[in-house]
Amino acid sequence: MPTSTRSKESRHSDRTTGCYVYGIVPADVEVTSDARGLGDPPGAVKVVRFGEIGALVGEIRLDTSLGTPEDLMAYEHLLDGVAREAPVVPVRFGAIMTDTQAVADELLMPYHDEFLAALEELEGRAEYVVKGRYRQDALLREILSDNPEIARQRDEIRDQSPELTRNARIAVGEAINRAIEAKRDADTRNMVDVLTPHCVAVTVREAVHEEDAAHVAVLLDTERQAELEDALRELDREWAGRVNLRLLGPLAPYDFVVTRNQMG
Amino acid sequence: MTTAVQPASGGGGIDRPSSSSLADVIDTILDKGIVIDAYVRVSLVGIELLTIDARIVVASVDTYLRYAEAVNRLDISKDKETLPELMNDMQEGGAKQKTKGAIEAVGEKAHDFLDGDRESERVPRRKRREED
Repeated sequence: MPTSTRSKESRHSDRTTGCYVYGIVPADVEVTSDARGLGDPPGAVKVVRFGEIGALVGEIRLDTSLGTPEDLMAYEHLLDGVAREAPVVPVRFGAIMTDTQAVADELLMPYHDEFLAALEELEGRAEYVVKGRYRQDALLREILSDNPEIARQRDEIRDQSPELTRNARIAVGEAINRAIEAKRDADTRNMVDVLTPHCVAVTVREAVHEEDAAHVAVLLDTERQAELEDALRELDREWAGRVNLRLLGPLAPYDFVVTRNQMG
Repeated sequence: MTTAVQPASGGGGIDRPSSSSLADVIDTILDKGIVIDAYVRVSLVGIELLTIDARIVVASVDTYLRYAEAVNRLDISKDKETLPELMNDMQEGGAKQKTKGAIEAVGEKAHDFLDGDRESERVPRRKRREED
């Protein structure tokens, strides 16, 4: 259930609107008039520029709370739309400054060269995310086949009443869970090995579901997207019947931007 | 038992959506991207942020009991993997995937729908506040 967090009393408490910051882009990026930002109704998005960089911003009311599913989707879809056409440094969700002048003066000017260097590195590149999810039956059969002692334990408790076998069932489940984690590690390493030759960078993400087989983000030259898809098709053949693969992208490079001084 | 003809690619096919679902977005944006606090102080504005439960996997006794039950349900005669088994899996698996997609919904309680037919163990993780 979503809960709300009230930030500390703002020193700008007389304001009614703020300037939401989505990301940093090269100054020559133009936002089309149909780009939709956060808020209800969705706000317009524009570019504040300084030197050779700009910030994607939108005005929002401060008397509402932020973070509905619609807000999250709008935030990502905007950044991913930009990432298809231009490099962008995404800002973590929830960044609001007082106004566009502050964006230029306090964000873009002092860190101009830093952001420009990051954008130059990201030129022509985008993030892709690969998710693999086990088919449960195939996964469990593999585990039983690889681990005959688990199969034996399972057979022993199978026909006994649940009340009598609780501890034994927990033990079996725990053994299975360990085996799943080991399999996830091995399959993730396999995926990383398959993808690395085609990518600028690869990073492993945390599993988000018990039956995740792999969860990997890659940074790729977008002109090599077909190579990535071919490599994944190979993996999909190898894993036929045991893992379902899902590919997202091109996305903004969420996993590949680092906050200065590693404060993130 | 029918045997489906294998598609030329041999695999189940890669899911390739044109844009991220809510579940995908939540996995991505909650703790990624640069943190604006490290760059600006004076003109940062506080606002009420809804926190969304981020999904991470935490195994528990309930998890273990569910796995034990799942292996109990596995048909004894199918314990050895054979090719026809894999093809049966693929046909079943296809239907399951469609159901999951249909259940995903955007709304205040979206996170309740994120895992379709199965609850994953989830530990609520507080989102960082904008101003401290």
